[in-house]
Amino acid sequence: MISRRSLTRTNAVVAAVVVLLLVLPAFGSDFFVRFIMTQTLILGLMAATIVFLTAYGGMISLAQLLLAGVAGFMFGNAALSEGARGLNLGLSPWVAVVFALAVTTVVAFLLGALASRTTGIYFLMLTLVYGVIGYTVFAQVVTISGPSGITSIVAPEPFTEPVNLYYAALVLSVLAYIAFRAIGRTNFGLAMQGVRDDPIRMSSLGFNVALHRTLAFTLGGLVAGVAGLLNVWWRKQIDPASINIGPTLAILIIAVIGGISYFEGAWLGALVYVLLNTYTKSIPLIDQIGLTPDRFNTVIGLMVLLIMVLSPEGLAGILERLSRGRGLGKPTQHSVEPPTTSTSPVRTGPGGLQ
Amino acid sequence: MRSRSRKSRWVLPATAVSVIALVAAGCGGSDDESSDSSGGSGGGGGDGAPGATEESGVKLGVLGECEGPFGGFHEDTVAGVALALSNLAGAKVESKTSALDGWTGATVNGTPIELVGIGCGDDTADTISEEIRQLVEQEGANIVIGPLSGDEGIAVAEYAKANPELTVLSGIAGSQEPTLQVQAPNFFRFHGDGAIWNAGMGDILHNEEGWDTVAVIADDYSFGHTSAAGFIADFCGVGGDVTTRVFPPLGTTDYSSYIQQLPNPDEVDGYFWAVGGTGTQAALEAFVNAKGDLTGDQHAGNLFFNPDLAQALGTDIAGAYVGGFAVLPGDVQTPEIQQYLASADKTWNTLASGITGGEPGPPSAAAGFGFMYGYYSAGVALVEALEETGGDPSPDALQPALAELELDLPYGPISLDENRSGIVDVGLSQLVEKDGEIVQEAVAIIPEVDQTFGGTFSTDTPPPSRDFPPCEEADLPWVGNAIPVVDGKPQE
Repeated sequence: MISRRSLTRTNAVVAAVVVLLLVLPAFGSDFFVRFIMTQTLILGLMAATIVFLTAYGGMISLAQLLLAGVAGFMFGNAALSEGARGLNLGLSPWVAVVFALAVTTVVAFLLGALASRTTGIYFLMLTLVYGVIGYTVFAQVVTISGPSGITSIVAPEPFTEPVNLYYAALVLSVLAYIAFRAIGRTNFGLAMQGVRDDPIRMSSLGFNVALHRTLAFTLGGLVAGVAGLLNVWWRKQIDPASINIGPTLAILIIAVIGGISYFEGAWLGALVYVLLNTYTKSIPLIDQIGLTPDRFNTVIGLMVLLIMVLSPEGLAGILERLSRGRGLGKPTQHSVEPPTTSTSPVRTGPGGLQ
Repeated sequence: MRSRSRKSRWVLPATAVSVIALVAAGCGGSDDESSDSSGGSGGGGGDGAPGATEESGVKLGVLGECEGPFGGFHEDTVAGVALALSNLAGAKVESKTSALDGWTGATVNGTPIELVGIGCGDDTADTISEEIRQLVEQEGANIVIGPLSGDEGIAVAEYAKANPELTVLSGIAGSQEPTLQVQAPNFFRFHGDGAIWNAGMGDILHNEEGWDTVAVIADDYSFGHTSAAGFIADFCGVGGDVTTRVFPPLGTTDYSSYIQQLPNPDEVDGYFWAVGGTGTQAALEAFVNAKGDLTGDQHAGNLFFNPDLAQALGTDIAGAYVGGFAVLPGDVQTPEIQQYLASADKTWNTLASGITGGEPGPPSAAAGFGFMYGYYSAGVALVEALEETGGDPSPDALQPALAELELDLPYGPISLDENRSGIVDVGLSQLVEKDGEIVQEAVAIIPEVDQTFGGTFSTDTPPPSRDFPPCEEADLPWVGNAIPVVDGKPQE
């Protein structure tokens, strides 16, 4: 059980961080705001969809970056009127946004429907297959991309200005965070948690398990699509390598680092990932111990290993334990308890929201 | 206990808030001034590139390649720039065994050239975009040399276009698009592209070797497309016919399914290979397995064909023609080339170059390969342009000077066309057997090739792709102008 005071404290922390992020452009460097934090918020938003599916549905998805990529490719195809590759539909930017999100939602629904009858490792593998197929489709079908992707993508006004894009990523992240938490208290969210914990019982009670999973996957896909749009506006291009297996796993790693059962963890993991990626090579004498820039994957791998040993619930789990005055080696109570009927939407143990 | 527990509850908020605050504060400062200079630029120019005009010196970033198919050439990229600055700007390298440690003391007309960072590319546009943003927006680079690879070149040119205060000199990115399609006014390429490096091959194969039909197999990305496009434009231009085009993805390890798409040896006169990196040998081995032994007189390749292939494939590969690169074939030796190679050996004791498999080897081996030479050319261009401007690195002075440069480089002169892409001499070669060993000998130099191929490629045509250019006859400016090379000596 999570006390009311604890929940209030979590909200206070999140609110304080959001306020800090709102005023960050006033005192943070341009690079930190436009590069580090914008990227963090976008990656965090993508990773939050993994947390959403895992926390409420017990579905660890590796297709979220693909869905973000679908939105990015579709925006590029729709918004550009002339370019080296793609459909060059020449739609107005905001119509292109609607088009991209509509296509992404339909794709997510279809993929979700196909995967809705699988669980656990089979769901994970199936979504991995989605990612591989998606990469191949965009690499091979030159009509919509081809191997060199879509370039010269311009964000709609006013998001051409980097600070505005940062605020867009921040606002959308906050909205997604609130929405994901709120969904846990809705009938749909409660049903999803039931489906996660005991699909057979839920089915016998008359719930359409496959439909619930499909709709959750679709919603996660839509939010991933929003993150994908922010991503192409930030990068100004997208190519199949952007959704290859490496970046796909990076999103999962971000969720794991932060704590795959904590929504806050998605952004926390993204911040750690981006900071490591950016600053590891700047640490004095780091190359003397063999950690040259090409060893970033080793660093991030060690980080994941360390976190998994210290706390399978990621950094957010570690911070929570510290805040409760517990040692790192002891599991939190809620991580070993069987699922209860609590409606608290946020903190979960592995495989179960409590 | 209770009070301690209550106190500890604020560890989480305090930690989260302080982490962000500390990092933000710690990272502030270096580009504070840049917000003023970029804030009013609007549009795509607002990414925070520093105002170079405010800087007194050159803050140079180098985009290297430490991961991916060409990750072994990271050392070569920085070494090229360092060698140019060592030879022409008085730089002293920090290490005699690695160029990655940088240099000190580089100045041109009193303007210091400081290395502010080395980017780590992996052959993808996403990564190189992040790397150049870090170099420019974090490290404050006002001039960038790089990148190495084709798709990266497009991304970097796009970034340059959005940040006019920045000046970019391409390292050795050989796709056509950065200059012909993107057309960033501040992106300069003092080398050829993949198409240029195959100019003249079709002429030789069709008119001298009697090939009428050919199958093309090339990497499925911008450089592979560009390389194949140059051969196709040339071969078809002089009357040949390309019957098949196959494009395996970059990084393929099992080429068998793509080899099956090629016609059999008795169905075409020859094959042209533009498969690079580790794929060259793997693709040719798959060909041997599927279609029978190689015969050199039926194969030709782009710059990735080399004598080392004979170690795995046998000496039957003798006779194969090889496209050009930024450097001339190794048997062409002039005093300028020898002086250039000697300067590399004088600057370093060893370099762990990609050409020596990442192991310490003679620096001249790296300098004699196109990757390092491309970066060297960019370094020379930067120095000579700074000499023209009296040491002024501001975009308004430096960029016009770069555009007008005519470099007299060891492997031949280079000037730029109206799209700021190199007009270069291309050295074609052939694999020949000598004393039981396969060596590469120059056969011809195609002078002053530009990237338009006499109009086949232009700003109005699409970039090279799987089906562009079509196979059509055309007037190529260099047909009949090739300079034959005998025993490494051009026959003027």
